[in-house]
Amino acid sequence: MATSTLKTDRPTYASDFIPSDVERAVFLGNPVLDNMMTSLIALGAEVWSNRRRMKVLEALLADKGVTNEMIEQYMPTAEQEAEWQKDRDRFIDLTYSPLLREGDLPVSAAFTRDNK
Amino acid sequence: MLDRRTLFGATAAVGSFVAGLFGSKSSSAKPAPMHAFDGDVEPRGTNQRLERLPKLDLESYDDMLTGLRIWSGREGNRPSMARFTRLLEDAGLDPNEAELEEIFPVVENDPLIGTVARLRTSGQQLMWTALQKHFHENADVYLAEMEATDSRGPGKLELNPDMNIPEYTTYEIHIQPGGYVGDAFAGHIYHYGTNNFYRAENYQDEIHRNMASQMPVPKDGKVLRILDMGCSVGQLSAALKERFPDAEVWGIDVGGPMVRYAHMRCVDLGIGANFRQALAEDTGFPDDHFDIVTSYILHHEVPADKTREIIEEAHRVLRPGGVYFPIDFETGAGRGRRRNAWAKFGGWRDHRWNEEVWRPDYSSVDFNGHMRKVGFEVEDQGPPAWRSPYNVLGTKKA
Repeated sequence: MATSTLKTDRPTYASDFIPSDVERAVFLGNPVLDNMMTSLIALGAEVWSNRRRMKVLEALLADKGVTNEMIEQYMPTAEQEAEWQKDRDRFIDLTYSPLLREGDLPVSAAFTRDNK
Repeated sequence: MLDRRTLFGATAAVGSFVAGLFGSKSSSAKPAPMHAFDGDVEPRGTNQRLERLPKLDLESYDDMLTGLRIWSGREGNRPSMARFTRLLEDAGLDPNEAELEEIFPVVENDPLIGTVARLRTSGQQLMWTALQKHFHENADVYLAEMEATDSRGPGKLELNPDMNIPEYTTYEIHIQPGGYVGDAFAGHIYHYGTNNFYRAENYQDEIHRNMASQMPVPKDGKVLRILDMGCSVGQLSAALKERFPDAEVWGIDVGGPMVRYAHMRCVDLGIGANFRQALAEDTGFPDDHFDIVTSYILHHEVPADKTREIIEEAHRVLRPGGVYFPIDFETGAGRGRRRNAWAKFGGWRDHRWNEEVWRPDYSSVDFNGHMRKVGFEVEDQGPPAWRSPYNVLGTKKA
């Protein structure tokens, strides 16, 4: 059993729980590869967050008197969101398609082309 | 960090900028708007009935991981399955018949299959972690918000801090940190995290509202009381109260933080559903009390013996002629379906690495048979629900 790491004097109505061991899962034969992929995904989310913020800024900068509060409160139009999501999907495709590569040739592998 | 001035400064007025930030899908019924209340924490306002995530960067992080989940499912599953099938055939195994112990040594550590699985699992872990981190870092503000609504109407909240929490409920289901019971913000984390699961199609509770609209009623048409078992953050309970505004609707869940969040959200929505921290197998309600008892994806999260007990409890609290409509993966068209090797492998990964601890247990139960055994009149192919063209429907005999 484990207990929440949250430290507070307020009532939480939380109880002990049985922690998952998913952190130990190896799906790629080597935990370093698994960890690198997780970091890569996290990096992608950070990059996208920055890009999305920039889009908000760019939209706001078209107006006068930009403030941080304005940035936080900005709600994109449906058209803007659709356009952003297209860009997001392009970003995902470019960044993660290489992960689906079916590489199976070791360094020592001979050429597989006839015209080697 | 958020400060109280920032948090309380913005209100639902920002919600008037409803412009589909989350790409919500249309739904037949008009969703309830959010109502700001004294102590409400909505630093970035609302998008219709969804409080926007409190920081732009957190919202964008969620947006990215939601997009990644959609993309990996669309682009990754097919090549992953093709690779799986090819590997089995190369090993002389039948992709329709192979068993898990034969499958593992052939596909384990395959780079493509492993990559697609990693995209899903890591994306999910990162989303949970980001949400938990935000709510923990601003715990005082969000705990104060819940305290401000615990005793506020229109609906009631009944917490039971002395409740004996059964061990079977304490796993980190869906690898959610702390699970349903172990984190003060289990409701917050679950609500926003499962928006990622629903692939951006449930920001306005569209799925729950659709299920509520499909909910069957007793033959005599009388609906005075409804029970939603295992209600989590109360999305179905709220939608049922909207469809049946004159009925007394109760959502129950083992997770105190879950029903607290469910209640707070209903206060925010102005919806008078009631919530109680209670077990589905021991609801604490009187005999013959409800006209409708339902649940949504509850049964695959409990052991087989508990599923049977829950069916018995549903029968006990229903009045004669009342209907039981338990919605889950296999209470509809999926029940008893023969599974090929890919489905078996996917089921294993979901069980083992998505912490669906009790799913195989659930599949072992003769669900409809037990409904008959306890005295329900059973319609195996009842009305549609969720992803299924039909769902089992039980009626308590008069």
